[in-house]
Amino acid sequence: MHTSHLSADRVSKTYQGTAGTVEAVHNATFSIEKGEFVSILGPSGCGKSTLLMMLAGLEPATSGTIMEAGQPVAGPRNDIGMIFQDATLLPWKTVMQNVLFPIDILKKNVGDYRDRAMELLRMVGLADFRDHKPAQLSGGMRQRAAICRALIHDPHLLLMDEPFSALDAITRDEMNVALLDIWQRYKKTGVFITHSIREAVLLSDRILVMTRRPSTIVCDVKVPFERPRQPSIVETMEFNDLCNALRHTIEHGADAGAHPLPSRRSPHAPTLATSE
Amino acid sequence: MSMSMTYSPAARTGSRTPSGLLRPLGRQARQLLLPTGTTVAILLAWEIVVRAYAVPVSLMPAPSVIFARLMESRGAILAHTIPTATETVLSFLLATVLGIVLAIALTYSRTLKSAVYPGVVLFQLIPKVALAPLFVVWFGIGSESRLAFGVFIAFFPIVIATMAGLRDTPPDMLRLCRVLTATNWQMFMSVRMPYAVPHIFSGMKISVTFAIIGVIVAEFITAQRGLGYLIVFASSQADTPLILAAIFALCVVGLLLYGAVGLAEKIAARFYGAS
Repeated sequence: MHTSHLSADRVSKTYQGTAGTVEAVHNATFSIEKGEFVSILGPSGCGKSTLLMMLAGLEPATSGTIMEAGQPVAGPRNDIGMIFQDATLLPWKTVMQNVLFPIDILKKNVGDYRDRAMELLRMVGLADFRDHKPAQLSGGMRQRAAICRALIHDPHLLLMDEPFSALDAITRDEMNVALLDIWQRYKKTGVFITHSIREAVLLSDRILVMTRRPSTIVCDVKVPFERPRQPSIVETMEFNDLCNALRHTIEHGADAGAHPLPSRRSPHAPTLATSE
Repeated sequence: MSMSMTYSPAARTGSRTPSGLLRPLGRQARQLLLPTGTTVAILLAWEIVVRAYAVPVSLMPAPSVIFARLMESRGAILAHTIPTATETVLSFLLATVLGIVLAIALTYSRTLKSAVYPGVVLFQLIPKVALAPLFVVWFGIGSESRLAFGVFIAFFPIVIATMAGLRDTPPDMLRLCRVLTATNWQMFMSVRMPYAVPHIFSGMKISVTFAIIGVIVAEFITAQRGLGYLIVFASSQADTPLILAAIFALCVVGLLLYGAVGLAEKIAARFYGAS
């Protein structure tokens, strides 16, 4: 428990809709350790984005508690980096100005962060584009700039809401490799929302599988591949076996049992056997 | 062999540059030549028809006659143009400021929006010109009356455009700001307002033409000077060339003001544009 960076204990979220109460997240329980990269994998509409918004402190949980570094999360706190499905760069600012935007908002001295911004841009291959406006970049380049922006203020936690799902398949593969590199270099705690099984397996230390009804985490899977990982692991049999097992779990529920998953049994994490 | 061709980014930009340079030139020439040509053709046809059928001057004077009248009375027309232009500019600026302030208030206060916005919209459904005599009753026959009516006519497009602009910020951008614990003021100044700028300018372009309508209509009713007054006066004398000369002056005022807003928009786009 002492290494736990972020944890959720029976977190639920309900909305009052016109057709009655909608339960977006039901009793989600998990724990993420410092420096761990965890994917929340599930179909669209399973409440994974809502869960991420609660982790960010942007939405209060209806019941249950979210703890970060031993403190209950009560609202937004500025040592989080966020990446969204859309790059959401300010169109009138240059790439460099966009990367420095959090520094501006945090009222820190922008000049002190220019070198760091340059280093980040160089790492994602955007150094030559620092004075370009977002409209002059491709979708993948914009999302790279958004990653730099998320890292500029050196946050402890990186929350990513399907960051590559708006990109084409080829760019998406490139971005996965880029993120893998960045991750292995900066070692933040990361929560990555995705509906792509392969993306989750390639990038994560652990995968929390979410289902639609009920909207909860049904299993917690440890990804056994060593780090640093090479993108070529996607061609290995182990990789594809794990993907197939996950697909089976998503389609048939956690207790179908045909494909045993290398699950990580912990008191915080419901595993195959304890799913509701 | 096509397979051996290299496709480098440099080759791509290289192939784009010549057409990228030439195309706007051709387009600009067309944009300037076509409307000028059309106008000249229409004026020419007008001149010919009026002369050929000997149309009475009081019914429809030829362009050459209007131009002669314009030159003849240029001092008087200019003297009447200045108050009209001044009042239009003032009421446009007032409408812009008031419209933006009201839009911000309506965007940020849900209570105010529910209380006021339906009324604002309902008011717009009234043919506003019909209210002009009321403004005389309320504000008298001075400049205030015309300014108030100009503002009244011109401010609505600003309100609608600014509100649309303030809603235009992508929700994720606002989430990002909130995660960074940005204050409402920071969010307003560095995100929401800049996103609204292009919308505000579209509103201003409509508003500036509305402001002229407002001032002219008010001048029809109350003024002792101004182009609206000159038009009414000239029509009482059956001086059709003077009416049309005054309308020409009005067009020039309108074009200049619209051009000024367009220029301001271009300058703003340097700071808040996407390119």
